[in-house]
Amino acid sequence: MRLLTKTTLWYLVFALIMFTIGGLIAMSMVRTVVNRETDYELQQTLREIRNAAAFENGLDIYNERNSVSIRAFPKGHIIRPDTILKDTFIYLKRTDRVEGFRKLITNTQLEDQFYHIEISEIIIEEGDIISVVSWIIIRLFLFLTAALLIGNFLISKNLFRPFEHLLKSLDRFRIKTNEPLSTMSTKTQEFKRLNQFAEEMTNKARLDYQNLKEFSENASHEMQTPIAIAQGKLELLLESPDLDEEQLSLVHTTQQSINKISRLGQALTLLTKIDNEEFSGKESIDFSKIIASNVQNFRELAEMQGITLEDQLDKGVQIKIDPVLADILVTNLLKNSLQHNVPGGWVKVHLTGDYLEVKNSGEPPKLPTEQLFQRFKKNNQSKGTLGLGLAIVKRICEVNGCEVEYAYASEEHALRVTFSH
Amino acid sequence: MKILIIEDEKDLMDNILAYLSAGDFVCESASSKAEALDKLSGFNYDVVILDIMLPDGNGLQILSHIRNENPDTGVLIVSAKNALDDRLRGLDLGADDYLTKPFHLSELNARIRAIFRRRKLQGQTVLQFNEIAIHTNNHEVLVHDASLELTLKEYELLLFFVTNKNRVLTKQAIAEHLWGDNVDYLQNFDFVYQHIKNLRKKIMANDGRDYIKTIYGLGYKFTDK
Repeated sequence: MRLLTKTTLWYLVFALIMFTIGGLIAMSMVRTVVNRETDYELQQTLREIRNAAAFENGLDIYNERNSVSIRAFPKGHIIRPDTILKDTFIYLKRTDRVEGFRKLITNTQLEDQFYHIEISEIIIEEGDIISVVSWIIIRLFLFLTAALLIGNFLISKNLFRPFEHLLKSLDRFRIKTNEPLSTMSTKTQEFKRLNQFAEEMTNKARLDYQNLKEFSENASHEMQTPIAIAQGKLELLLESPDLDEEQLSLVHTTQQSINKISRLGQALTLLTKIDNEEFSGKESIDFSKIIASNVQNFRELAEMQGITLEDQLDKGVQIKIDPVLADILVTNLLKNSLQHNVPGGWVKVHLTGDYLEVKNSGEPPKLPTEQLFQRFKKNNQSKGTLGLGLAIVKRICEVNGCEVEYAYASEEHALRVTFSH
Repeated sequence: MKILIIEDEKDLMDNILAYLSAGDFVCESASSKAEALDKLSGFNYDVVILDIMLPDGNGLQILSHIRNENPDTGVLIVSAKNALDDRLRGLDLGADDYLTKPFHLSELNARIRAIFRRRKLQGQTVLQFNEIAIHTNNHEVLVHDASLELTLKEYELLLFFVTNKNRVLTKQAIAEHLWGDNVDYLQNFDFVYQHIKNLRKKIMANDGRDYIKTIYGLGYKFTDK
């Protein structure tokens, strides 16, 4: 929900509550004022009656009124004067219904005689007050809502424009390009700060990205060159005619270690590059083909290890992934299944539209299988493996939104990559 | 065969020079882009070994220069970058082959000779080693003029041996040459022995001598000495 919509809704909820309370207060005030006014009217009529009593037959016109009744006490009869005001209901013939009335009842002395006077005045009904007040309140509320909606529209059109603009350009922001973040100049202080902050952050992110990228490129180059030199020197050393067996073996072991450093460097650089999203191709590729060609490549190697490699591949499985990463993913899974196998073992590769599964025979894992995805976690520390293959598999899956699971049961290892479609 | 090596790392240059000079190569070296362009304009080379990361410029510019000025020269790119687009860009610009650092000198040697055979001799070449003749144009091997039935891998193995004759070839270098980078997961390369054994058997069955010497624990050497 948009910020403005949200604040408006809240505002309207509060307004509704306030208007309801306001309506109730207004109703009771109207009631009070009306009562006061009615009472004043009654007193006024009484005053008129008093004035009229001074004239001969002055009271007659009042007695003709339905709303007034004047009854004289016998002459000489003395009553203690008193006055009460009360609400009452009277049946009206004219409207054929019972209406609410305000009544003034008094015993009073007019000139030289005592009278019992009752004056009634119709009062405005509760229902009439309610309907009038709510009519006003509801219309006010509707006006307010309309005004708010128009206000919102104007605010989002003008006041919030720099903000919307920034959101859009953040959406378009790509760390790999050099296009600067476009912001809209504004006089609103908060937006000014926000723009400035966003600009600084994106510049910093770009700089970090560039630095890391350059570092991983340089690290690769700077490491591999000395390794190439050392390896070449050892190769030349092997040409010396008078090396004995022990010396040859020393050279050989050194060669192996150097080889391992080189592979380690390459694997770590690869992980950095994946993290840095340098493989961003997300084209739809024929995964079946990639797997088939890799299985083909590894079949001969597997056979030489005495491992049977079976495959069951659905044709034309398309997934969205960078083609280089797809290839690395498959080779790493296959290498892993061949590496941690047993003599005379087997590997089964199964591809469907939903997942790729590589199963292989092998000894039970010594670590929980989930941990084997962590860098340098190895089942067998003595084996000369790097312990990065599955970490790379995991990262590639994460970057491409796939799930990877490692299951082991009865000497059968199963790595399954489930595709996201 | 005349070769120009363009490489800014002196030690790596020395390695390549030391390994290649023992053969029938005439090697010259250049350690910068300027020096390389200077030499390329003055002499004709059969093959150029080109490091594409040079202090004074990208080696790919040298490649374009070679393609424009000396179209007959073979180019082998050597790079520490394993990046696929670099590799493709290099090959697109007309490089004959691409080798990633670190590499075995024996592999470098084999690749240079392959480029030379393809370019200069249009594949019409026979590699002769005593009684063994390898016809690289049609992958045929003759021992004492009798044809030898070899699998593709055995043929490649023999060619690798003859190209690097009298040199110690480690099992790993052989495995990587035959099966590429994928073998890096293997802990030992003893399976190479299977192919050596078969090759040896087939050559000896045709009355050829056994030139493959085993160097214990390390590898093999193809030699008649």
